[in-house]
Formats: sequence, structure tokens, C-alpha cells
Amino acid sequence: MNITIGWLYPELMSTYGDRGNIFVFIKRSEWRHIKTSVVRIEFKTTDKEIESCDLIFGGGAQDRQQGILIDDLRERKGPVLKKMFGRGIPGLFVCGAPQLLGHYYMTGDGEKLEGLGIFDMVTKHFGKKKPRCIGNTIGKLPDGKTIVGFENHGGRTYLGNGVKPFATIIKGCGNNGEDGTEGAVYKNCIATYSHGPFLPKNPHIADQLISKALEIKYQKKIPLKPLDDSLEWQAHKAILQRFT
Amino acid sequence: MNLRTHVAITAGTFVSFVSRTFRLGAGATWPGEVALRIQPRILRYLSKDAKHVILVAGTNGKTTTVKMIKTILGNNAVSNTSGANLDNGLISTFIRYPNAGYYIFEVDEATLPNVLKDLTPEIIVLTNLFRDQLDRYGEVDTIAEKWLVALGGIERQTNVIVNADDPHLAFIGSKITGKVKYFGLEDPSLFLPKMQHATDTIYCPNCGARLTFAGVYYSHLGKWACGNCSFTPPKEDVTAADFTSPLEGVYNTYNTLAAALTAQTLGINKADVREALTHFTPAFGRMETIVVNDKRIKILLSKNPTGYNESLRTVAASVDKGPVMLVLNDRIPDGRDISWIWDVDFEAYRNFPKYYVSGDRSLDIALRLKYAGIQPTVVADIPDENMLWILPTYSAMLEIRKKLTGRKIL
Repeated sequence: MNITIGWLYPELMSTYGDRGNIFVFIKRSEWRHIKTSVVRIEFKTTDKEIESCDLIFGGGAQDRQQGILIDDLRERKGPVLKKMFGRGIPGLFVCGAPQLLGHYYMTGDGEKLEGLGIFDMVTKHFGKKKPRCIGNTIGKLPDGKTIVGFENHGGRTYLGNGVKPFATIIKGCGNNGEDGTEGAVYKNCIATYSHGPFLPKNPHIADQLISKALEIKYQKKIPLKPLDDSLEWQAHKAILQRFT
Repeated sequence: MNLRTHVAITAGTFVSFVSRTFRLGAGATWPGEVALRIQPRILRYLSKDAKHVILVAGTNGKTTTVKMIKTILGNNAVSNTSGANLDNGLISTFIRYPNAGYYIFEVDEATLPNVLKDLTPEIIVLTNLFRDQLDRYGEVDTIAEKWLVALGGIERQTNVIVNADDPHLAFIGSKITGKVKYFGLEDPSLFLPKMQHATDTIYCPNCGARLTFAGVYYSHLGKWACGNCSFTPPKEDVTAADFTSPLEGVYNTYNTLAAALTAQTLGINKADVREALTHFTPAFGRMETIVVNDKRIKILLSKNPTGYNESLRTVAASVDKGPVMLVLNDRIPDGRDISWIWDVDFEAYRNFPKYYVSGDRSLDIALRLKYAGIQPTVVADIPDENMLWILPTYSAMLEIRKKLTGRKIL
């Protein structure tokens, strides 16, 4: 068994230790004897190479880096990614990546930057009127389990009817600090404002994504062998205890 | 001098005196803070008559570079306390030493533009720009843009000394109309076998095209070129062939070259610089050795991915072999966000005899190591080893030094 992980612009969308998520996908697969390969999705990457991926990851970009890649992402990568997510390919998008996947991002100066329109949501930056959301976060999933992370964003995101919130925010700001939502789910894709290494302390989400990738690829449910996650959950619980 | 300024200086001097007399340990910033609250433009008055003011700014290497310059200049030079690098730290130093020959200051990246509004330095040294505490400083590009604006308006008498191997700093250097000098390694034997993950400026600061690197020394410092526009690397005034670093670590070679070029700019000849550097002793926690009961502990402050990678590389290359203790805190001086530990290349250092982890976020660093294939031991205190390397974040470094030496430094 094997899975191929597509990593969106690893040089440009890597601000806060985002590659931690890639390490987690690789190790948690390898520990179960599932072979992995990583496709670095960059300017020259073809549609065919992208289509070979079973799982997509996108991290956070700094403003300048975002400017360098946005046209390529929207025009050359957007259509194929949209098709893949439509047929259930799972993805994880952290930090600023979800802002690119919504309908648009309104900058602090009122400029409207068009996104990929994959997630039914919009993001607005209110300039200096609203402070940045910075700090440790805790969220509750619909199944009652928790997620922990760290957010650092200036924009506020508002969800449409085409997506479900990923979690309810318990500590932190989440999507906008108003409606209690955190992140978004579209089919098997997860968007979260948690940035950087989201998966290490959330092994249940990592396994959910790996499991979906295998299911779509092999067209059947493949149970994942349990791992010793005591350290992962100890670190997860330490955040719960400290920040609630 | 108006009355307000006079009162500010008197109050600051009084706080400085009280702080020292009663050993309150607040002399590094409080005198300046008090003076600043009375007279917000106090730095302008205090620096007016100082002939030689040298500012050192950048992400890594500030404290060591300042200490090297101070060592070369001798008794007539004063500097701010390591870490007291906001305006209140500079002001406190002026108040404490009103008649020093040379003032050498490390300046916080975000504070530099403000300081330049009140003070015209003789020399500004720009060491490097890496991602560091993004929750506090913001992005590297944001800092670089602010520097570009601040340095664009600098007086022509100021010399700017720039790391030529950092493309973003070289770009800033190219935009300065005044006197600019460059240092760089120019030593292919120090190239890394491949590019590290933790890089910031690998796209041309001028045109946005991907830079090509004939080799990298670490992060994005290297022999770079842009194949798309006219922006080219500057010619260095000093290189690694000119001076030998008194400390281990490639990053210390950069610090040495920055300090040496500063000294040469002040008219000190090469032979005297070389001689002075042989007497250099490391700053607190920067490759510092502490001996307690015949047991040796070497401390390497490691607070961002690039610094951390260089610390690990230095440990691996050293003749001193011993376990490595990583201490990760997430307090204000460290940055609350510890995501960056996933940008450190622990995967390349699986062969150290043993790893210990400690600090507020010991579980996070243990988890990072787990995914690098390393099994560390979580400890609450400094383990008993004959030779131990400690890589702490800032607040952890202060705690460890306090434990080991029994005194406070800030």
C-alpha cells in the first residue's frame, strides 16, 4: 500500500514549521508499513503530477510569497485541485492557505483578491480596526473530541452554506471571533486557522486524513493499525489543561 | 537643554544609582524607561555629543558582535546589557556612562527605525535577517521594508556595514546612498551539502525571481545570484580569509567579520584587530562554558530555526562530545509560538549520545524529536553529566545560568 502526498509550494507556503504536518503524514504511514512519496507542487508541476496525489497539504505564506504564487495557484493549479477535491481527495490547509481557497480575500485597503472558490467562504481584513488573532487555540469537533493549535492571523473568515465549520472554538479567536466557528470542512478537505504543525498534537486528524486518502485510492475502507500515541496525547492534554 | 530634559536625565541617573547601590538588578532598562517617560525625545539629547555610536542590528549574532567590537576597542567602550536592546536599554547606557569614548549598542530589529529618528550613528552593522518570533516581529519582509525606509533616510556620514551573503540585506545596502561596506565568507569549504528548509530570502528582493545559489553557508546566506534582473552580489571588503573567529561555529565567523570590519572602519589596523580577538571571551549563553564541580556545560542560546540549526551543527563539529539538552520555553522573551521547532533539522543529528528535553514546552520538543526518530528523556532539572551541551531559548538560558552560577544577569 502507498500514498502520495502533494505539498503546495513548500518553499513559499512554509512560515511556521508547516512541514511538521508532512512529517506526520510520512511517519504515521511508515509506522504502519504504508509507503509514502511526496510531490512538491511548484510552478513547473504538471496537472498529471498533481493528479497522482492522494492527499494535499497547504501551509501558510508570508505576504510577499503569497504574491509570488497566487496567479500560478489560481490559474494553473486551481482547476485540477478543484476537480480532485470534488471527487473526495482529502486535503489539509492551515494558517493563511484557507484564505486562498475561499471566494475572495478583502485586504485592509479594500482590495478584493479573488481566491480559488473551492471553499464556500470569504475572508476580510479590517485593517487596524481589528487586532490580529494571536495565541494558543482549543476547539471542539462535532464528535466531542478536541483539537489544539496556535493561530496568528489578521483576516476574519465567514462561512457560507457550502461548507461546515471544522470545530467550535473554545479558546482563541477561530474564524472571526464572532460566530464561534473554527475552520471549515468541504467534502474531505479541512481548513483551519491553526498554523504550522497542526497534526503532531492532533493525531486523530492526521489518521482521519490518511484513512480517507487510502479509502479514495483503494475504493474500500482500510482500517489503520493503532499506534502508541501516548506522547502525542500528553502534549495535547498539556495544552488543554494550561489554556482552559 | 530644557527643563524637561534636565529632569529626565536627573531622574534616570537617580534610578540608575539606586538600582546599582541596592543591587535591584533593573539598571539595564529602568533608568532609561523613567527618563523616556519624562522626555520622549531623550535619546536625541543624550546622543548629541557622543562621537562614536555603533549600532548592531539583525536577527542573530547581535550580542556576540557587540562584545567582539567592545573587546577590540578596549576600556573606552561601553555597551547595553545583552537583551536590553530597546530604546530604554540604550538610554540607560547613556545615563550610566555619560562620557564614554565609544557606545556600542545591539538594537532590536523592530526598534532600529525608531532609534534612527533620534540618533545618528557613526556605524550601523546589519548582521542577518531570519524568521524569528513571528508572533512578535511579524514577517522577515515586514522588518526588511521598515529597515529600507529607515536606512534610506540615513545621514551621509554614517557607515553601514552589511552582510553580503544575505540577499535581502545586500538589497538594502544597494539602496543606501551613503557609505556601505560589505563582509562575506567567500569560503566554499564551508558550503552545506544541500539547502536547509529554514530559509527566508530565496526569491530575489528586487524582482521576485527564484535566486540561484552556488552554495549556502546556512539558511539563505550564501553565494547567491539572480538570473532574471540586474541585482548582483556586492564585492566584500573583508572575507573569512582575513580574520579567524575566536569561537566555534560558522555563525561566529560572520560575527567576527562584522566586528573586524567595524574596527577597521574606525581606523584600527588589521594586526591589532587580530590580536584583540584572541582575548575574546563569549557573551552569556553564547557558546559559553560553565564549569561546576569539574563538570563542563556549554550553553548555546538557540531561539529560532536558523540559530538552532547552527547550534546543532556546531555541537556535531566540536571536539567536545556529550549529551545534548534542549530547553524550550514559550514566555514573552522566547515568543509564545513554538511552531518553529518543526523547521529545525533534527533529522540530521540523530547520532548524539543522548538527548534530554526540558522547559515549559518539553512535550512539544519531545514530540518533534519523536518524528525525527529520536527518543529523548524528559527532565525537570539539569542532568548530571561530565560534559553537557545545553541549547536553551532565551528565558530558559537565563534560568539555567542562574541555577549554574547562582546569580542573575538581567
